[in-house]
Amino acid sequence: MPRSARTAAGLIVVLALLLSLPLVGGDYYVYIFALVFINVILSASLRPSLTCGQLNIGHSAFMCIGAYTSALLAKNLGVPFEVSLLCGAVLAAAIGLAIGYPSLRLRGVYFAMVTVAFVEAIRLIASIWVPLTRGNAGLSGVPKPSVLGMTLGTKTSQYYLALFLMLVVLGILYKLEQSRLGLVWKSIGMADNLAQSLGVNIANYKLLAFSLGCFFAGVAGALYAHFIRFLFPPEFGFLLATNILIYNFVGGRGHFAGPIVGAAFLSLLSEPFRGSPYETIFYSIVMLLTILFLPGGLITLPGKLAGLWRSAPSTYAPAGHA
Amino acid sequence: MPLLDTRNLTKHFGGLAAVSHVDLTVDEGEIVGLIGPNGAGKTTCFNLLSGFLRPTAGTIVFGGEDITGLRPHRIVGRGLVRTFQLTTLFQDMMALENVLLGMHLHSRRGLPHALFSRRRFPPDEVARGREVLEFTGLGSHADQLARNLPHGHQRVLGIAMALAARPRFLLLDEPVTGMNLEESGRVMALVKTIRDRGTTILLVEHNMRAVMGTCERIVVLNFGQKLSEGTPAEVSTNPRVIEAYLGAGVERA
Repeated sequence: MPRSARTAAGLIVVLALLLSLPLVGGDYYVYIFALVFINVILSASLRPSLTCGQLNIGHSAFMCIGAYTSALLAKNLGVPFEVSLLCGAVLAAAIGLAIGYPSLRLRGVYFAMVTVAFVEAIRLIASIWVPLTRGNAGLSGVPKPSVLGMTLGTKTSQYYLALFLMLVVLGILYKLEQSRLGLVWKSIGMADNLAQSLGVNIANYKLLAFSLGCFFAGVAGALYAHFIRFLFPPEFGFLLATNILIYNFVGGRGHFAGPIVGAAFLSLLSEPFRGSPYETIFYSIVMLLTILFLPGGLITLPGKLAGLWRSAPSTYAPAGHA
Repeated sequence: MPLLDTRNLTKHFGGLAAVSHVDLTVDEGEIVGLIGPNGAGKTTCFNLLSGFLRPTAGTIVFGGEDITGLRPHRIVGRGLVRTFQLTTLFQDMMALENVLLGMHLHSRRGLPHALFSRRRFPPDEVARGREVLEFTGLGSHADQLARNLPHGHQRVLGIAMALAARPRFLLLDEPVTGMNLEESGRVMALVKTIRDRGTTILLVEHNMRAVMGTCERIVVLNFGQKLSEGTPAEVSTNPRVIEAYLGAGVERA
């Protein structure tokens, strides 16, 4: 079977499993997988920026902006979910533009420093602006999501909403990566001076990659807000931002599937530790093991195993030079 | 009016004058060589002309327009394209993709195109990319990763990418360094063909045989200043040039 057909078959199987999950699994699995989908959106939306060679250690800030914007619009003004989600995403992208415009001109570690500072600033604003966000008491009573006026009351319907949104976001990001735009992003990550000397306005392309990522992080945030229905500022801090980065590195930087695999694998495996200090320890250990044994990430694992399988018999063949 | 005209071009790095008071003119259709001993300021000159460095003083006029201090991609947009000294390529992309990126400014691009077009590259762009590869002799390597090409081919690919940007003026930084006699002969022939097709060329090169055989005019830099200028014959017999290259002791010895 050709490679593309195999990939297509694999995708159909995964999709069928995800579609039938609520039928076989209980509410617990529905709940966990909806959170996985949100993490996949976060992780995949960081990829364009990483491809350009920008280390963004503050992605959760944009999720936070999307979450609070959508939640407050829906709760206080009764704005429908579709509109409040879009407003959250647009505001996240707009703030991304404002932060990115001056700081993307900085190279390497300076940009990363700006994103670290920013994620803490946003977290503090969410904690301190009590009249609006209720601060560290948490914002509760966020309305359930609705589609075309129909409230999605059950966790199962919300699961399908999350699945649908994830597929749309992944579809858009995949299409972009496969386009000339994606190739230009890749070229900036490989050799930005060469890209410049071919006429690429690298500042603009980096800004586009960054703010697109912020937009989709905003989508993930809005989805999260109406799914969990309770927002707590510390959840959007530095720790979540580093986790999003770890999803990308553990999954693998070399392929579109990397961040998806990384987010799914780590969110599911860390489920027993969720919210406890062990979660951080678990992530650190997985990150270290990946760097040591699979520098290309989890997506290179099947290829490596296949390589071992093929090379194993030859070890028993007489060595020519011995 | 010359195509490229620099006046009093100067670049200081701290206390070091890497380039000082250089007046350089190149006419449309010329092949000019820029030579000089190591550290003479040749590459700094290239970085100034292509916008990667901002001059401390002086002006750069290209095609009648002042381009001093413009950012690199703006300068490329005006038709002044450079190559790099080392094998600076998009190593993990195919040769054809490298050239297609070279066509960046002449391509259909942007977010709507990325989202709604069915193809990654329109067929006419791919055809033009293949044409450029064919012209530079890399036609059969279009689908190979740049990193897997032999050194000589990698250097030529660098030139092919610059050509894809449709330059009016091409700055070649050491195009034949590290090549054997046969390879460098082929590349210098290619450079002449590029000129004959209407692109003006300024090249930096240490391979004297290549420079003397190809350039019509040569500018010699030493310690950041213009030491001499003239035809290859004039320059190669100029005692000051010989002194700069071989040291002052030679004549007395």
